[in-house]
Amino acid sequence: MKTYLEEILSLNSLKIGYVSGKKENILLPPLSASAIRGELIAVIGRNGIGKSTLLRTLAGLQQPLGGEIFYSKKNIRDYSRMELAQEVGYISTEIVKVSNMRVYDLVALGRFPHTNWIGKIEAKDHMAIMDALKKTSMESFREKFVSELSDGERQKTMIARILAQDTGIMIMDEPTAFLDVAGKYEILHLMRLLSNKNKKTIIFSTHDLQMAISQSDKIWLILDNKLFEGAPEDLMIAGEFDHLFDSSTVVFNSEDGTFSFRSDTKGNIYVEGDGNKKHWTMMAINRAGFNVSKEKTFPYVIIPSESNKNWRLSNKTGILEFSTIYELITYLRR
Amino acid sequence: MNTGIQKELSIGFISGRKRRFIFSVLLLLIFILLILDIFLGSVSIKASEVIRAIFTHTNSNFETIILKFRLPKAITALTVGVALSLSGLQMQTIFRNPMAGPYVLGISSGASLGVAFVILGFSANITTDSLNGLGNWILVAASWAGAGAVMMLIMVISSRVKDIMTVLILGIMLASGISAVVTIMQYFSNETMLKAYVIWTMGSLGNLTSSQLNVLLISVSVGVIMSLFSSKMLNALLLGENYAGSIGLNVRFARAVIFICTSILAGSVTAFCGPIGFIGIAVPHIARILFKTSDHKVLVPGTILLGGAVMLISDIISQLPGSENVLPVNAVTSLIGIPVVIWVILRNRKYSGSF
Repeated sequence: MKTYLEEILSLNSLKIGYVSGKKENILLPPLSASAIRGELIAVIGRNGIGKSTLLRTLAGLQQPLGGEIFYSKKNIRDYSRMELAQEVGYISTEIVKVSNMRVYDLVALGRFPHTNWIGKIEAKDHMAIMDALKKTSMESFREKFVSELSDGERQKTMIARILAQDTGIMIMDEPTAFLDVAGKYEILHLMRLLSNKNKKTIIFSTHDLQMAISQSDKIWLILDNKLFEGAPEDLMIAGEFDHLFDSSTVVFNSEDGTFSFRSDTKGNIYVEGDGNKKHWTMMAINRAGFNVSKEKTFPYVIIPSESNKNWRLSNKTGILEFSTIYELITYLRR
Repeated sequence: MNTGIQKELSIGFISGRKRRFIFSVLLLLIFILLILDIFLGSVSIKASEVIRAIFTHTNSNFETIILKFRLPKAITALTVGVALSLSGLQMQTIFRNPMAGPYVLGISSGASLGVAFVILGFSANITTDSLNGLGNWILVAASWAGAGAVMMLIMVISSRVKDIMTVLILGIMLASGISAVVTIMQYFSNETMLKAYVIWTMGSLGNLTSSQLNVLLISVSVGVIMSLFSSKMLNALLLGENYAGSIGLNVRFARAVIFICTSILAGSVTAFCGPIGFIGIAVPHIARILFKTSDHKVLVPGTILLGGAVMLISDIISQLPGSENVLPVNAVTSLIGIPVVIWVILRNRKYSGSF
């Protein structure tokens, strides 16, 4: 693959898994992938396929069972624990709940690889901590106890901690898992910002495919037989996402990146009109179990224009009027 | 920009000054308590006599009481308080369990088992009288080994069982199991051995020979120095081993160092003073309340000072100043420690899972 920027991470036939006793339990076929500076990479794959194991292995918390990981062209095996902590930061789904620990203290722990034997916070460490708090907009929380934070605030504090750690690569295992929709987008926005402005390479796992497709620079799609990497759009055009789903029930629409359920169609309906009302009406009709036909046949729906506020459904016997989409589809589903 | 940073640092400096003030007060308190502990006792001795006994050579009965009994006892109390509290703090962090302590998790019982092996098992060669010099080191080493073995068991349990209370219950089971083993050993041992062991179990702060006190002081000093060096590791371990590893801690090494340190601290005390309860679990919590921090750079010295002070208070109370009776110090430490433990349990319901 051609890259125009410095490659910060590369995986070469990496085997991941667990060792139990003398038996090696390798989860996936050898993985090869790469990342460049400032990329936001989403790791996608079904539950239990080994996303967390891959991320833990990349963070150096687990030994690779074969193959190589290179950080800035240097093999992970040649890094000491302390050196690696200056290259890679890690956030898992594990929640840190320590009473009497302030936000500042937690972020300060990110300075671990940079401080002396007792962990003294010098002026440069303090500056790095305050800078990390500022970037995550957690400055005003610094005196607060970690146990009093909301899930979103805690996640931002954890991100501030790896910012203070000052690593080029951040690895995050499902960073948005516990968050509500607003929290999810706030964290994702922060991640996007850190990769664009601060040139951090962020590798995160997620189950939110639409979010990953719309926001990440690259996707590592882990399937049972292979890891596919590429821009979300490349994977979409190649139809790789289809492999994620049991194709008998879910259909992935590679045109707009949405999903729908495969179901027996109740018939065809033509939709006449334009604008966003047409788009949403078509969505609703699909959900009600009908196909939107391309030719004007009975029955058809006319989208309301300015003068007429009602949806009009024409079939062979006559015309029915509905004031909302809800009324229309309730009628169709009867 | 620079002035901004200075301002930020000065905010930190104020809380640092407050902290230093608390430390000074604690030091002063320990000094006062040490003097009180020497002055007060079941035999009332006038202050002037005490001073004369310490600074001049009078050969009076008072001098014997002060120099041979009260002074070593006060120093023992201080050392025991420091050692137990520090081991409690380290255990709470390494197990990430607010209920951890040398007594409740059976570490002291493990140490007792080590001691029982020496006294009941090999006392054909070692009599109580020969428990001097090398004998003391054998005793203390057996105690460390016993404490260390139980620490390992609790670690294995903790890695499988995440629930704090379940670990606690298993710790109690472990302690009961160990005392059952000791009971069986007692059953098969002869009368002299048994007598030696029973005297040990009644343990108190006042029965140490000077050579035993030396062994205790040396061991605890080693433990205290190791603890000061492990503050940074303990801070990282607060986050759990995954995060600790990700910020650059060698978790295995850290755990080994802290294990050895805790076993030395708890084992040494148990070897010479018998199991003393609830100081190890309670004092770290008092330190956390007082300093409102989770930072071991503050908590380790804070726990050292508080532990010493609490144990001196317990010793003073146990002497029942003004009366001729003496209470077992274990009863006093339990009455001081248990309310703190109950408070921690009740508070923890609010932030379940945190410590």
